[in-house]
Amino acid sequence: MRVSRKYPTWLSVLLASVVLVANTLAMSVQAAEAKPFAEKKVVLQISDMDPSKQTLVLNVATNLIKHYGPDKIDIEIVAFGPGLRLLFADNVNVGRIDGLDKNGVRFAACSNTVKKMTKLLGGAPELNSHAVHVDAGVVRMMDLIDQGYTLVKP
Amino acid sequence: MGNHLTRLKFTMAAVLASLLLSAPAFAADWLSLQGTEPAGSAARAKIWGFVQPQYTQMDGTKLKAGPWGGQQAIFNVVRPDNDSESGFQLRRARIGARGTGFPLDSNVNYFLLAEFGNNGVTTSGGGSVKLTDASVTLNHAKEYTRLRFGQFKTPGSEDGLQAIHVHNYNNFSLPADQLLLERFRDWDGVANCLVPADGPLDAEEAAWFLACSGGNGLNGSVGAYRDIGVQLFNTFKIKDGMGKYPWEISYAFMVGNGNGIARGDNDDNREFYYYLSAGQVFGGKGARRQDWKVYAWLQDGKRTLLSTSNIPDSGPAPPFFEPDFDAFEVKEFDRKRWGVGGTYRKGKYRLYGEYVKAEGMLPNATDGASIGGAVSNNGLAVSTFNTLTDNEAEGWYLDFGYKVLPNLELDVRYDELDRGTEGAAAIERNFERWTLGAQYFFNKKSRFTLNYEFRDTTASGAPATPQTIVSGTDDVLTAQVLVIF
Repeated sequence: MRVSRKYPTWLSVLLASVVLVANTLAMSVQAAEAKPFAEKKVVLQISDMDPSKQTLVLNVATNLIKHYGPDKIDIEIVAFGPGLRLLFADNVNVGRIDGLDKNGVRFAACSNTVKKMTKLLGGAPELNSHAVHVDAGVVRMMDLIDQGYTLVKP
Repeated sequence: MGNHLTRLKFTMAAVLASLLLSAPAFAADWLSLQGTEPAGSAARAKIWGFVQPQYTQMDGTKLKAGPWGGQQAIFNVVRPDNDSESGFQLRRARIGARGTGFPLDSNVNYFLLAEFGNNGVTTSGGGSVKLTDASVTLNHAKEYTRLRFGQFKTPGSEDGLQAIHVHNYNNFSLPADQLLLERFRDWDGVANCLVPADGPLDAEEAAWFLACSGGNGLNGSVGAYRDIGVQLFNTFKIKDGMGKYPWEISYAFMVGNGNGIARGDNDDNREFYYYLSAGQVFGGKGARRQDWKVYAWLQDGKRTLLSTSNIPDSGPAPPFFEPDFDAFEVKEFDRKRWGVGGTYRKGKYRLYGEYVKAEGMLPNATDGASIGGAVSNNGLAVSTFNTLTDNEAEGWYLDFGYKVLPNLELDVRYDELDRGTEGAAAIERNFERWTLGAQYFFNKKSRFTLNYEFRDTTASGAPATPQTIVSGTDDVLTAQVLVIF
């Protein structure tokens, strides 16, 4: 028989907050350390339902890496809203995402969107293993802009 | 010239055999392209379709012999209207939608397509617009299988299964057209449809003439290589440890009505379809990707229709006799088809080949090869479409394409069909055809296709009259523009 242990709500909230803060810090550390020689810093926004936008944002990331070289450019793709589908585990572009990850591209998944989709789907969507949860996609983009990133929405 | 053609045919047959046996080859994964959507990346409703205006030209050679001699020949007129030997027509005009109704869930997708053109789908069965495809696919166990419900293309011959808007010729191959593109009719065409002589008709005669005077035309849309039912299918990709290029293995098993499209079943029999393919992908994606594959398929079912008969020693004059109404009976007939084939597409080259075998019910010509519903010259009988209810046929095609320019492909196809190969030699017909073609691509979504068909039909085991009739088969010129949107 499976017994479920109930924790106080405040403890759940605290734990969730700690996880998010840890994720955000980890992303910041990644951003700072992953590309120490980066001369350009770009944050790419994907928030559209249109499947062609998924292809477009991946193409832009690929082309930027080709142009500047993987060590000279720091790219983070932030997915929120309907655009979060790009980071679904079974997304048809999973191979391209793997390739970009190998070149140091980071993928941020909006937790607010995940929560909303969890309600709609009746369960949390399974995300790509390269996706890192951030508190809110838009906040993440603003933070990156403050750090000198250029926002591009293909 | 004859010896040269024979040598060329043997060469092509040898190439087909090697293609099938030693160097397997194929093209796109139609099961997935038509039945699934890209996971996590599909639209809620992607509107799409295509338009195919076409011009067809034949000489319009009239029937050279027989009771309908001097009238139009069924093989020298433009389908589906069968009125003229040339003309413009809207061969196909289709619009549809596909996608995932709820884009967050890739486990359910749909495919919807309607036909507005002038063809065998729309000209029979009432209405001028018909739904050709309406299906839902469930992908919840996609690691093993996918489930597709509804009306859709059946797993089978490449010539029928491939998307029509990437078909390399304006007309289907002979085996696909005659043996697989099913025409549904009410009765077998055996009993004569006599024009009432002077004097009152009894009720039976009147009912029969009312039924047969339409020429035993189509009962509803042509099958369009589709059926209504349920299909288990999947494609497995094997990328590691299998050489330079990834492999693909596809399978499908379908149960359908075996009664065509846009209607329910007319009996309790079910049609069973089996399909298996294997090949490698060289690169690209979609309908024109670079790849090869071999495949085999089987379709097995029964048809229910009215079996009729004549009273041979009674009637106005041979070959017309009084129908034997006492012998009329609704019967079930076997209908079995199978085939093997392969395709190859890489760089500038494209090579397709397939062998098709048919057993059981086969379509046969109209009476005297005239237009169905036409009255004989002596005014005694109406021509009807006929069916061989228990016979065999076989055919094959070999098709080669070469891109001489990035936007210009030249094509050549040889196909042949031997129909009615069992029983009396008099009913056997042999069709041979060479098709020369050119496809000019304006862009990825539009092209112009020009085809010239050298057609030759023989009936060597038949009496002189049928031999004379089929010798009048014309060549065919077709020009078609295609736009996909």
